Amino acid sequence: MTTSIFSNDNSAISRRVRAAIRRSLIICSLFLAAVTTDVFAQSVCLPAPRLLTTMPMGGKAGTQFEITISGENLDELGELAFSDRRITTAQKLDAAGQPEPNKYVITIPADCPVGLYEARAMTRLGISSSRVFSVGSLTENVRTKPNTTLATAMEIDVNSVTNASMTNRAVDHYIFNAKKGQRLIVDCATRGIDSKLDAVVIVADAAGRDLLVERRGGVLDFAVPDDGRYVLKVHELTFKGGVEYFYRLGLWELPAGAPIVRQPTTKTVNSFSWPPQGVAAQAELAEVEPNNIGAKAQKITLPCDIAGSFFPAADVDLYEFEAKKGEEWWVEVASERFGLSTDPAVLVQQVVRTADGEKLTDVAEFSDIPSPVKVSSNGYAYDGPPYNAGTSDVLGKLVIKEDGVYRLQLTDLFGGTRSNPRNIYRMVIRKAAPDFALVSWALHMELRNGDRNALSKPISLRGGATMALEVIAMRRDGFDGDIDLVMDGLPEGVTAHGLKIPAGQSRGLMLISAHQNAPRAIGSANFQGRAVINGSAVVRPCRLASMSWPIPDAWNEVPVPRLMADVPVSVSGLEFTPLSVAPASKEMLQVTAGEKLTIPLAITRRSEFSGATMELRTIGAGFDRNPAFNLPLTADSSQAVLDLAALKTPPGEYLIAFYGGAVAKYRHRPDAVVSAEEEKKKAEQDAAAIDAELKQLVEAAKSATSEKKPEVDKAVEMATARQKVAAAAVAAAADKVKKATQVAQPRDIVDIVVSEPIAIRVNPAEKK
Amino acid sequence: MHRTGFQYLRTAGLLLVAALMFAGQFAGAQERPVSFVNDVVPILTKAGCNVGVCHAKAGGGQNGFQLSLLGFEIQEDFEHLVKEGRGRRLFAAVPERSLLLLKGSGQVPHGGGVRLSHTSESYALLKEWIRQGANNDSDKVARFVDFEIQPDRKTLKRHQEQQLKVIARYSDGSQRDVTQQALYESNDKAMADVSDNGLVKVQDITGKVAIMVRYQGRISVFNVAIPLGAPVEQVPPSRNFVDDAVFANLKELGIPPSPVCDDSTFLRRVTLDIGGRLPTAEETAAFLASNSPDKRDHAIDELLKSPDYADYFASKWTNLLKNRRDDTSDIVSNFAFHAWIRDSILANKPYDQFVRELLAATGTVIDNPPVAWYKRVKEPKDQIEDVAQLFLGVRMQCAQCHHHPFERWSQNDYYSLAAFFSQVGRKPSSTRGEDLIFHKRGIAAATNIKSGIALKPAALSDAIPEIPADVDPRLKLADWMSSPTNPFFAKSLVNRYWKHFFQRGLIEPEDDIRDSNPPTNPELLAALEKHFITSGFDLKELVRVITRSNAYQLSSTPNQHNIVDRQNYSRYYPRRLQAEVLLDAIDYLATTQTDFANLPPGTRAVALPDNSYNRSIPFLRVFGRPEGESVCECERVQSSSLAQSLHLINAGDIKAKLSHPAGRAERLSKEDRPAEAKIRELYLVAFSREPRAEELKTSLNYLTEQRLDLEGKPVDAQKASRENIQDLIWALINAKEFLFNH
Repeated sequence: MTTSIFSNDNSAISRRVRAAIRRSLIICSLFLAAVTTDVFAQSVCLPAPRLLTTMPMGGKAGTQFEITISGENLDELGELAFSDRRITTAQKLDAAGQPEPNKYVITIPADCPVGLYEARAMTRLGISSSRVFSVGSLTENVRTKPNTTLATAMEIDVNSVTNASMTNRAVDHYIFNAKKGQRLIVDCATRGIDSKLDAVVIVADAAGRDLLVERRGGVLDFAVPDDGRYVLKVHELTFKGGVEYFYRLGLWELPAGAPIVRQPTTKTVNSFSWPPQGVAAQAELAEVEPNNIGAKAQKITLPCDIAGSFFPAADVDLYEFEAKKGEEWWVEVASERFGLSTDPAVLVQQVVRTADGEKLTDVAEFSDIPSPVKVSSNGYAYDGPPYNAGTSDVLGKLVIKEDGVYRLQLTDLFGGTRSNPRNIYRMVIRKAAPDFALVSWALHMELRNGDRNALSKPISLRGGATMALEVIAMRRDGFDGDIDLVMDGLPEGVTAHGLKIPAGQSRGLMLISAHQNAPRAIGSANFQGRAVINGSAVVRPCRLASMSWPIPDAWNEVPVPRLMADVPVSVSGLEFTPLSVAPASKEMLQVTAGEKLTIPLAITRRSEFSGATMELRTIGAGFDRNPAFNLPLTADSSQAVLDLAALKTPPGEYLIAFYGGAVAKYRHRPDAVVSAEEEKKKAEQDAAAIDAELKQLVEAAKSATSEKKPEVDKAVEMATARQKVAAAAVAAAADKVKKATQVAQPRDIVDIVVSEPIAIRVNPAEKK
Repeated sequence: MHRTGFQYLRTAGLLLVAALMFAGQFAGAQERPVSFVNDVVPILTKAGCNVGVCHAKAGGGQNGFQLSLLGFEIQEDFEHLVKEGRGRRLFAAVPERSLLLLKGSGQVPHGGGVRLSHTSESYALLKEWIRQGANNDSDKVARFVDFEIQPDRKTLKRHQEQQLKVIARYSDGSQRDVTQQALYESNDKAMADVSDNGLVKVQDITGKVAIMVRYQGRISVFNVAIPLGAPVEQVPPSRNFVDDAVFANLKELGIPPSPVCDDSTFLRRVTLDIGGRLPTAEETAAFLASNSPDKRDHAIDELLKSPDYADYFASKWTNLLKNRRDDTSDIVSNFAFHAWIRDSILANKPYDQFVRELLAATGTVIDNPPVAWYKRVKEPKDQIEDVAQLFLGVRMQCAQCHHHPFERWSQNDYYSLAAFFSQVGRKPSSTRGEDLIFHKRGIAAATNIKSGIALKPAALSDAIPEIPADVDPRLKLADWMSSPTNPFFAKSLVNRYWKHFFQRGLIEPEDDIRDSNPPTNPELLAALEKHFITSGFDLKELVRVITRSNAYQLSSTPNQHNIVDRQNYSRYYPRRLQAEVLLDAIDYLATTQTDFANLPPGTRAVALPDNSYNRSIPFLRVFGRPEGESVCECERVQSSSLAQSLHLINAGDIKAKLSHPAGRAERLSKEDRPAEAKIRELYLVAFSREPRAEELKTSLNYLTEQRLDLEGKPVDAQKASRENIQDLIWALINAKEFLFNH
């Protein structure tokens, strides 16, 4: 006889008991966590409409197809709008002619250029945040079934783009036929189309054995070795997945030798400063290798505009030119701003040739263009915008002190071991052309550790709200004058006021305010900076940047910002901001330099608040040093005091504002409770009517004659059925009321409150 | 490598005996001036006064008396001896009352015990030096140049003895017999021991062994060949230069090799060694059925093409490169770094290129994953120590504070190497805990902490041409490494890989290459090195040339002669499967999967990116998976332990695999096939061979035996079948044939 060495039922039972206890403990602790969250949590930022995913994420020009969207606070969905109005949509209707939730039918005309567009949905709260939408020229697929094994690999064709979202802890499989000698390009669009996916893309043989791997967001250039079936595998670097990890997997054939044009991607924030005004699309000159050693330095004459590449690894590009004493040249290099992982560095040396050889003397060294304002650290607390307007590219002034020959060395500080011909650069050496470029993003402040939510808010204003955008200038070639900020093309009831970037400084603000009664509307704003340079009026666009995703916890998610294609501004028309702060009078306030100015403030409260006061700080160049002061959250008016002596404000006209964080007891859609209650009331009335009717019929049945009996019974039966329906309607309406009431329960939400702008004229003090 | 204090004390004890033995030979020494440099310091060194645990201890020596380690700093030693201690250390008027002699000979209490007998020659020499005025003759006396061992190599029979003679040469052309002052150490005491006065005694084991001799900072080696002397009538045919060198060595030593192994053993061995996995049943069946004459070469090529090869060798490198999860946020960089290593191996990136990309990495981890190495190894000191040990097989740690005792490396060598990393710039990146790495423009230099002199980059005594400020010095280090004449880089790698396949490096430990630690088969090491360099640092080619050799394919079954051989590769030395490989093998045999956090179901243990899984999977810890703490392969524990046996016998995870509802036991129990076929399947999977007749019979009996429950009632047939098969699989897993690569 043998007894299995694994028969140990007692221990199995005890294991199960232990597991059950463990499970219950986990459930208990989860419950506690939930309770804790509900009771104590304080949310950050009032609900904002955010479009987070679309499926598919793009389409072929000249086609019509269905699209499904998802996001946050997308109540009462309206139009799905694109930054190019040629792309049109209509809500998808079901068989009964009713709109299907979150579904649209999209039409891309054949003449719509290939590229990226912003998609946004109009909601109850206004226009949503944007999601990028691609228009391409290849056949589009949408994955519909799980494909996480070789056996379930999705069949795709060459010259197609497949839309899918990454499966968590899995590898997505695709299979295709290819012919020997074909050159196939595999390009997976992810971060460049707002996805959270860091994709790993693998070309494998039919048995799934890896042949080529790309993990750094690069493109695979696959020379097909034999006729046959091949597999594409896609997964996230750490095997994360979910709807936010979407991708567009492109597979197309390309003739040998043809340059690879990748799927379009969004632009990095710091690319706002490239190209400088007037720079041609194509450079005049091309780098000619070999130019790695002094004797082979490429001869150029200044000014020049040259295109080259940091290739192969540890590439050194040398250019030689003659220059005269007193000349001043501006050297600008763009490479990182093309979205490349490069760090260009320029060294200029004077070359003196003697009988003994060359003598090189360092003249100038240029590396990064620093951000004009402090960029956030990667810490928990908010200590600056997590947008970097600076770049590792180069911009510097070269002053020639002696007539002679000069050699400019251009290298990539990241290029020591990287050998990628796609790491290109463009170098412009010019006489001073003073100018500026502007970028802006939503103003943020510390509301809660880790929170960066406000940075991804759309400009969708509640009635009475003011939203502030931080505006940063990159000044070029010595321009240091004032830059005025203007915004027009705004919807009715919305005004915008720029707090200018003063001479020599880099930061300004744009305040966008919606009147309390501003109607529901949307507009595409025109945001510009204006300055006078060398006596001429100059107008430059201001690009808007935003985060691709809301970041409630920057500790666990690195914020990923990008530039937007346009500046949509909308008003909800259906909801008001909890708190408006405005100057009591719209008149310009007058004060004498060196005196104190008291500013009466009108406070409009549309909500209860947590706490009796909020702290306000002052914005507007030169006024930031005004000490923070408290604003009552229980009164309808207050005042702010500016001590112009302490601030040392010189005479002139100024625009300032106040801002701070307030915790509102926000009620989400209390109107929904009212309408639900009305619906419930009506359902109850309907039910009562049916009850009465049924009662009558039952009574009638009792006394009905035998001939009438079947007819009456039938009527009773039908009325009973209707009664059931009505009772269900009452229950549903009651449930709706309950839910709406629950949602409308006051929740503590902290958000940024910005006052309307306040105009001040500081008059010169009378001379005594 | 430092010896322990205990070792030094023991050596010092032996020295004392030697000193006594040779007392009385000191005649005529008084006729010449006693040299501080050439007499006194060697005596102090021989007596063990200036070892790290005694007066050369860092931070003040012992009891206020400091000497430089092993007498490398003559001037300092003189100062300490003569000028410190209020002059009590040396007493010229009555030399024997000098504290140096009183303490050293134990006449007054001495924490270090008796180092010199007061009747010894050394004692007399020291006394005479003091009497003569304790002069420092370092700038006058003939300088010690080097020494010669006589003989420097010899073939000795087992149990034979050989007295060594050590002759020192000086700058004036003079010579002296310093046999008594020299220090001796055997590289393998089990093969040959050496006395304190240079008498070598050969033990039982055959092969090659070295005796290291040290004198005045110089090192040399006495090489001993200990032949077995058995008749080597036949060796397998040579398939390449590996065979030439291995079999020539065996012939020289008279060690007859085992024959070439059978096909099953070969396939299992090579699949485990290259792919880190068992061959599949299908692969085994096809291989055994094939009559192709080059089927072994073909199997090697197929394995080298497979991602399994990349996964397995990436696992090796990932641990050595310290891909450690110290914080949950490390996951991205760890996955990226591991993947970069794996992809590099898959693409067969030339080894010099791989090392270059690692050493000179710039940018962020996501853009350039080898930057992750700089996240783990932050200080230039750690960077050069890791680089030297891992890629050059040179241990530089000692030279940070003092001259390397067993090597020629000085502190200047150490800091000159560190200078290559002096221009590594760091900037905070957007990811917490991760720096962006860039080349900081400037002239590279590192300061010798002792001399305070800033040193320019030099690679282990090789001068490097001036590196301009805007050239990343790390690239120049990589250039130096990949030079075909570099004496360390290729040698270190081929030795490391040789060990991977043969369980023992040609130099042991594999990352301690020094003049005083010669290879057991220098011709083979040189040939491998040359082949590797000529191939363009092609790692796959190296694996190919090793595994194609008949030397690799020898049977592990010893013959009557080579059973004692442990270093000449006359047979395959079996080795327990590594933790990850064993876990995968069990999963394959049981048709189960181990669940690894964040990774897709079905991920193999050899493909794990970092050490974090050692915490969640006890099996890996028990079987010695390293934590990525060190660049030494020795961190992986390959020894066997009781915990391992108990784990395999009775651990919950093993039981769960055997009884898994989707497992092999469950499937086989439900299949309507003869029991014999099921047994054959299990043997093919577990051992890559058919069961032998007696194994088949025993297994059949077991599977078909009537089973009774605890109450003696017959167990349900389906349940009995399932449990019987589980038992059989369990027995196979616990067999040595399964646990070992053989």
